[in-house]
Amino acid sequence: MGPFVALALNGFREARRNRVTLLVGIFAIAMLLSTTLVLEVTVNTFDRVLTDVGLGAMSLMLVLLTIFLSSGLISREIERRTIFLMVSKPISRGAFLVGRLLGNMLTVTVLQLAMAALFFGMMAFYKSPITSAHLAAIGMLWFELWVLSGVGFLMSSFSSQMVSAFVTVSVYVAGNLAPDIYKLAGKSKSGAVQSLGEAVYYVLPDLSKLNYRPHATYYAEITSAELLSSAGYAMAYTGVLVSLAVLLFNRRDFR
Amino acid sequence: MSSPTPIEIRNLSKTYRLGFFMNRQVRALQSLDLTLMPGQVYGLLGPNGAGKSTTIKILMNLVQPSEGEARLFGMAPTNREARRRVGYVPENPAPYEYLTGREFITLSGRLAGMSGKELDDRVNEVIGMVQMTRAANLQIRRYSKGMVQRVALAQALVSKPDLLILDEPTSGLDPVGRRQIRDLILEERHRGTTILFCTHIIPDVEALCDRVAVLVGGRRVREGSVAELVSAQATHMELTVEGLPLERIQTLGIELEQARVLENRVLLRVRDAEAQRLLKLLLEQGGRVTQLQPARFSLEELFLRALEEAKQGPVGGEIS
Repeated sequence: MGPFVALALNGFREARRNRVTLLVGIFAIAMLLSTTLVLEVTVNTFDRVLTDVGLGAMSLMLVLLTIFLSSGLISREIERRTIFLMVSKPISRGAFLVGRLLGNMLTVTVLQLAMAALFFGMMAFYKSPITSAHLAAIGMLWFELWVLSGVGFLMSSFSSQMVSAFVTVSVYVAGNLAPDIYKLAGKSKSGAVQSLGEAVYYVLPDLSKLNYRPHATYYAEITSAELLSSAGYAMAYTGVLVSLAVLLFNRRDFR
Repeated sequence: MSSPTPIEIRNLSKTYRLGFFMNRQVRALQSLDLTLMPGQVYGLLGPNGAGKSTTIKILMNLVQPSEGEARLFGMAPTNREARRRVGYVPENPAPYEYLTGREFITLSGRLAGMSGKELDDRVNEVIGMVQMTRAANLQIRRYSKGMVQRVALAQALVSKPDLLILDEPTSGLDPVGRRQIRDLILEERHRGTTILFCTHIIPDVEALCDRVAVLVGGRRVREGSVAELVSAQATHMELTVEGLPLERIQTLGIELEQARVLENRVLLRVRDAEAQRLLKLLLEQGGRVTQLQPARFSLEELFLRALEEAKQGPVGGEIS
């Protein structure tokens, strides 16, 4: 096992032994199971509600967990002074950072797989049809979590956990509204506002590109080219964030 | 091919930029030169803020120097191959609390490139060396400070380093804990490991180090072997005399700084300049001089004197 894998598995072990992760996991599964209560009050839209509430609960819990884990990923190491024992090891700072990020994503992925298995189990139990749109929605949520992890991770490399979490939540909200911000700014008569809206749109991650939950709810068609383009966008955006984090982290003094 | 010199530091300086706008400058280290030869135990002695930890952090690639250079085995500290040969224990070490001692030492071994049976065997060996066998499978959050310090030392030793860098390894420990850590360092010294040891606890330096550098205000103000530093400051001689009573010695006309009677011997302390004359007179009077040696000037006195002298000149600290 190389140092890289050792760091990633250690990150997973850290999250597994963290009570917050455990609580979020239990709460997420309880939320998914409670979907059945909502179904009691539906008549004709049974399948849609099951998909909507199930995928919504999954998304909400995983986004919260990702923000919690990624925003403290490096800042916690610095605050608790564990960084001194790690960065002094014969590994590059970049490898340390990426190893920690992978450990984080491994935790989120395992929890997402468990939640997806439960969700599909419930759909099968209620004989609700499972389409490729459901798979796409869950797959693209995973890419969305990568982007959010990247934002939290970048912030965490130079600021406290509170600041990182606040910025990541803000980016999540603004990122989902990015196309609306762009359209709204476009309607302005001021050239400056239009340029600002354009700049905000290109700087912020367009998370609406990764939201396929409405497609799953309404059984809409999704092309593989569309999926590939969205996944590529998410990974490229994450790549830029991680590169920036490595660049900043490499120049940092640990006093 | 890499140089065998474990540590070479030339003209090393570090100025920290602090504050929101990075407009406050604090000088932590000024033009430091230092060389550690293989097998040496080298002590960096100095008060808080002297620049000891900054020097070590530059060597461990935790801090980047402002000027000058530091080399580990002829390589820059940023080079992973250089750090592979080094075991490091920071001041107040903080291993991951959610891991057990064994897990943390194993992780450290993996990060140093070890694996498989070689790693497992070495982990068991170092756990035994630091006497943590019974507590190895407990989470570190349950450890006492002494246990954390021993785990930190074990993680530094796991990769069989050629060079150990220890930042205040005994600070905050009770006498038993200090003794255990000191014994472990002595064992490593006997194995031939080069050790850079930074502390402000003088008895530890006297017990462990071959050479010492005293840092004050980011500058090196003294350097040499413990014996050299101590004897260079010796301004008095001590004599042990038999066969002459103290009353008789006091009539010889030499000013005695100190005189004590012990059973059939008299212990005398005189200024260096008077020693030869006293010796001659004692022998003429029929006394037997059984011991003659420079009076021991403690490292602590030397350290305090160095501090006093350094206060006269420019020192580190906030410069703007």
